[in-house]
Amino acid sequence: MYFIQTLVNGLLLGGYYALIGIGMTMILGIVKLTNLAHGEFVIIGAYMAAVVTSALGIDPILSLVITVPLMFLIGFVLQYVLIGNAMKKGPEPALLVTFGLSIIIMDALRLIFTVNEQSISTPYSTKTFTVLGINISVLNLVLFAISIVSILLLTMFLSRSYVGRAIRATADDAEAAALSGVNIKKVYAIAMGVSMASAAVAGLCIGMKSTFNPTSGGAYLSTAFVVVVIGGMGSIPGTLIAGIVFGLAQVIGGASYGQLISYVMLLLVLVIRPRGILGK
Amino acid sequence: MLKRKFTPSHVKVLDSPPMLILCIVLAVGLYIGCFAGLISNKAMRYLVQIFLYITMGEMWNLLSGYAGMTSLGQQLYIGLAGYSVAMATSPLFGLPLFGALLLGAGISVVVSLFMSLILFRLEGMYFSIATLVAAEAFCMLFFAWKFVGQGAGMTIRINPYPTLQEICILSMTICVVALALVYGLLRTRVGLGLTAMRDDITSAASVGVNIFSHKLLVYVIAAFFTALAGGIFFVNKGMIYPDSGFGISWTISMVFIAIIGGTGTVSGPIIGAIIYVFLNEKLADYPGWSNIILGTITILVILFLPNGIMGTLQKKLHFEIFSSKRFSFKLKKAAKEK
Repeated sequence: MYFIQTLVNGLLLGGYYALIGIGMTMILGIVKLTNLAHGEFVIIGAYMAAVVTSALGIDPILSLVITVPLMFLIGFVLQYVLIGNAMKKGPEPALLVTFGLSIIIMDALRLIFTVNEQSISTPYSTKTFTVLGINISVLNLVLFAISIVSILLLTMFLSRSYVGRAIRATADDAEAAALSGVNIKKVYAIAMGVSMASAAVAGLCIGMKSTFNPTSGGAYLSTAFVVVVIGGMGSIPGTLIAGIVFGLAQVIGGASYGQLISYVMLLLVLVIRPRGILGK
Repeated sequence: MLKRKFTPSHVKVLDSPPMLILCIVLAVGLYIGCFAGLISNKAMRYLVQIFLYITMGEMWNLLSGYAGMTSLGQQLYIGLAGYSVAMATSPLFGLPLFGALLLGAGISVVVSLFMSLILFRLEGMYFSIATLVAAEAFCMLFFAWKFVGQGAGMTIRINPYPTLQEICILSMTICVVALALVYGLLRTRVGLGLTAMRDDITSAASVGVNIFSHKLLVYVIAAFFTALAGGIFFVNKGMIYPDSGFGISWTISMVFIAIIGGTGTVSGPIIGAIIYVFLNEKLADYPGWSNIILGTITILVILFLPNGIMGTLQKKLHFEIFSSKRFSFKLKKAAKEK
C-alpha cells in the first residue's frame, strides 16, 4: 500500500513539476535561448496571483484571468524590445541578459514585497480524502488538474492554431520559416509571452502548494532545468514524463535527498542521452 | 571645424618591454607596501578583494571568452575549496593554511577532471545548464552533510590565524601567478589555438586545433585558480555555509567582471574587477538596489558595448595590452571595411 501511495503522490506532483518546466522547454526549443530568468518569472506569477487574490477576494484560480494576459504582455514586450536585440549578438550575450534580468527582478521583488515568506491560501489546502485506502490531497489533485489542462491547452495551441504552426515551423528551421513569410521576431515574442503565461500558472500553483519569497526563483529554475533536460528540450510530452519522474524522486527522497536524487538523475541523462528522453 | 581623421593602419601591441617593466614595478611596489605596512588596513581589504576577483574573473574569461565554455557553475570549486580549508584547518585535522589551500585546489582539480567527463559531452546551453546544476547538486550535498554543519555552516579556525597583511600578500601572489600564467599560456601554441577557438571554433577544429585537450586544459586551470582564490576568500571571511560557498552570486560577479572589462581580452577582467569591487562597496550604501544596478549595467554593456570597456577601447584606438599577438602589425583592409 505504501508503494501505491508513493506512486500516486509522485504522479500528482508530476503535473505540477511539468508545469514549472513547460515554459522553459518552449523557450529552449523554439527561441533556442537559455532563459536564466525563468525562475524569477514564475515567482512574479506567484506574487501577481497573491496580490490579485487578496485585492479582489476571489478564488486563487480565478486570478489567472488577470495574471495570464498580463504576463503574456510582459513576456512579449521583454522579448521584442530587449532579449531579441541581445540574441542578435549571439547566444552568450542573450544568456547573460536573462541573467541580468533575473537578478534585477529578484531585488525588485525584494524591495516591493520584502523578504518575508508568502503563500496563497485556499479553502481546500489541507483537505484530503481516501480512495481504496490511499490518501489523496485535494490540493495536489487540483494542482494536477490545472497542470494537465494548461499543458493540453498549450499542445492544442501549438498544433491547431495558425500562430502555433508558425511557432513550430520556426523551431524546426527559423530561416526556412522566415522565407515562407513568418515574422520570426514576432513569433519569438509570442513564444516568450506564452512561456510567461505558463509561468503565471506555475506561479499560482507554487503559491498554493508552498511558500515563496523573492529569492526562491533559483530553486525553481533548477527544477525547470532538470525537468526540461530529462524530458528533452522542446518536447511537451517529454516534459510531462520528466515531471512525473521528478515528482516521484521528490516523494521518495523526501525533503533532504529529493533534490539531490533529481540532480544525479539529470547528470546521468546528460551522459547517457544528452538530448533527453524524448528529445530529437 | 577640422576633424583629424584617425586612419587605423596598424594594431599596436603594448606589451613590449616598457609595459612589462611597468607591471613588474607596480607589483613589486605593492609587495613592498604590503610587507612594510605602508598600506592602510582599509586599502588592504580592498586590495584583497580586487586580487581575488581579478583571479576569478580572469579564469572565467579564459573559460568563456577563449574556450567558449560559458560556465555558470564555477562556484562549485569556490565552495569545495572553502569547505576543504574549513575542514582541513579545523582542530580535528589541523593542517596549516598552505597545506589546506593546496588540498582544496587539489580536490577541485580532481573534481574538475571528473566533471569534464560529463560536461565535455555537452555544448552551448547544455554545458551551461549542466555546470549550474552540478554546483547546485554539491550545494545540496553540503546542506545534507552533518559533519560540515549542514545549513548553518562552519567557522574557519586556523591556528594561528593569518593576519590581513598575510592574506593580502597571498592573494596578490596568486593573482600575479594567475595573470602571468594566462598571459604566458596565450602566447604559446596553446594560446594561438585558444584564440582561434574564441574567433571560430569550427574553423579552429578544421585547421587541426585539438578542441578537447584545449578545453580540458583550460577547465582544469580555471578550477585550480578559482579554488585557490575561493579558499583565500573564505579565510578572509572567517566562515562558510552552503549558500555562500556554492551560491550563484559568485557567477554573477565573475560574469559581471568579465563582461564589463571585455571578454576575450586579458586586461579586461583586471579593469572589471576594480570597477566591481568599488561599485560593490559604494552600492552597500543602497541595500536592496545593488543587484538591480549591477544587472542594469550588465544588460546595457551587453547591448551597447558588446566588447566591454577594454575590448571597445582596443578596437577604437588600435592597441592591445597583454596581447596574445607577439608583435605590432599592419592591418591590411580594416580601414576600408568601415
